[in-house]
Amino acid sequence: MYSSELIKGTLKTIVLKLLSENERMYGYELTHKVKDMTGGKIQLTEGALYPTLHALEDQGILTTEVVNVGNRLRKYYSITPSGRKIASDKVNEYTDFIATMITLLDLKPKLG
Amino acid sequence: MIVLNEEQVQYILRDLETQGIALEELRFSLLDHICCVLEEELDDPDAFRSHYERVLPRFFKRHLSEIQEETDLLIRFKHYYAMKRTMIISAGITAFTFIAGAFFKIMHWPGASALILLSIITLCFVFLPILFLFKTKETQSTRDRITIAVATVFGIAISLATLFKLMHWPGANMMWISSLGLLFFIFLPLFFFSGIRKPETKLNTIISSVLILVAIGLLFALTQIRNSKWTDYSERNVDLQLMELSHAAQGKTLDTTAVPEHIRSAGIALIERIEDLKKGLILHMNNDEPAELSDLLRDLGKEINHSNAFFFHEGGKAKPEVQQLAKDVKAFHDMLPKDGSNQVMLFNTDKRLRYGEKHEELITWEEEQFSHVTFANALRKLNQLELAVSLYL
Repeated sequence: MYSSELIKGTLKTIVLKLLSENERMYGYELTHKVKDMTGGKIQLTEGALYPTLHALEDQGILTTEVVNVGNRLRKYYSITPSGRKIASDKVNEYTDFIATMITLLDLKPKLG
Repeated sequence: MIVLNEEQVQYILRDLETQGIALEELRFSLLDHICCVLEEELDDPDAFRSHYERVLPRFFKRHLSEIQEETDLLIRFKHYYAMKRTMIISAGITAFTFIAGAFFKIMHWPGASALILLSIITLCFVFLPILFLFKTKETQSTRDRITIAVATVFGIAISLATLFKLMHWPGANMMWISSLGLLFFIFLPLFFFSGIRKPETKLNTIISSVLILVAIGLLFALTQIRNSKWTDYSERNVDLQLMELSHAAQGKTLDTTAVPEHIRSAGIALIERIEDLKKGLILHMNNDEPAELSDLLRDLGKEINHSNAFFFHEGGKAKPEVQQLAKDVKAFHDMLPKDGSNQVMLFNTDKRLRYGEKHEELITWEEEQFSHVTFANALRKLNQLELAVSLYL
């Protein structure tokens, strides 16, 4: 598992990217998906996830839908068109960042 | 995998609220998340409580309420970083313009007042309010928040009072007294007694309180120190005596016939012109409100601002009535017989070197008499001139 310092700053990018690829997701599903996709190397902390989700909703980047599941409520998050644009910008920025880091740290990625 | 029952769900919901998750939507989100984790990991329904106690700490570092605080911060302070940047920039502007303004004021360069005005306005209406918002976010205690609010109001009040004092605007003294009242009777007691209770802030509170007292005391001394009663009295006496003398001199002359008619009439016209200027100056000193001269004279000695604005235009050119005074003085001087006993320095309207200056720039009579002269001395100079004219009538 990576240090929280490395993961910090990528949370928004991860959330927006996942939501732009899936119609709607709820909080636990998001953490679960990230954990599965990365083989447990990246685990979103709930303490950071929910404040970010609420803020993104407040800013109109995400919309929500509350569904009754058994004896509790579940909040599903979907991305808005403006959010999609932000998601793609963030992913591009991050790709560029990684390329820069590779150059900076003189890493030789295995291609293919 | 098991499904949590209604009772267990309600237990978690209540616990989240007790632990400081105030926002309902956030509480429901966390509830669903915790339920999902428990339902996936829990095999034995009887172990619900103990497993819940183990799962919950994954959500925070110190307290669960951190999530609530972080959400508040992100939602309420959407512009958190912009505000922080604005605060730092405004602090820079305040410091820079204040230092520049003070320097300009010492050097008597134009623009000093505008710089100081900008500095205090930025301080009072940008920096202090943002600082207040940040500081109140840092504390949970209502008492601390009230202290910060009072401190902000005091900071704004004392800065504006200082601005009014520096600009000689009306109401400055009232503002000073109100600010000091706020400081001594509300802010300092609140600050001192709330800080001294906690062992970790005790020493800092005592030191800060003493520093605040010393700083305000020094500022008070600099802006409020006055002459003693007797110094004021003697200052006023000089002016009253000079005025009496000039009036007496005029009274004496009216029945003298030895003076040629053209000199007498020119002299009387000149005295009228001087009287008009005196009246104008007195009005100007009192912010264009009529005043009893003797009341005004009491404050005159303390007035350190020069009276340039009354005698000169912005660019330094003498106003028309002052130029006319110089011409009249010259005309009057030219009429007087040149017999050596009429060499009054005051009447010499030729351009001259500024007294005691090394560089060779010539200045006019108007500048010599009235440039950078305090109100009190401007009035004295006009009285002297009047007296000097009266001698020849």
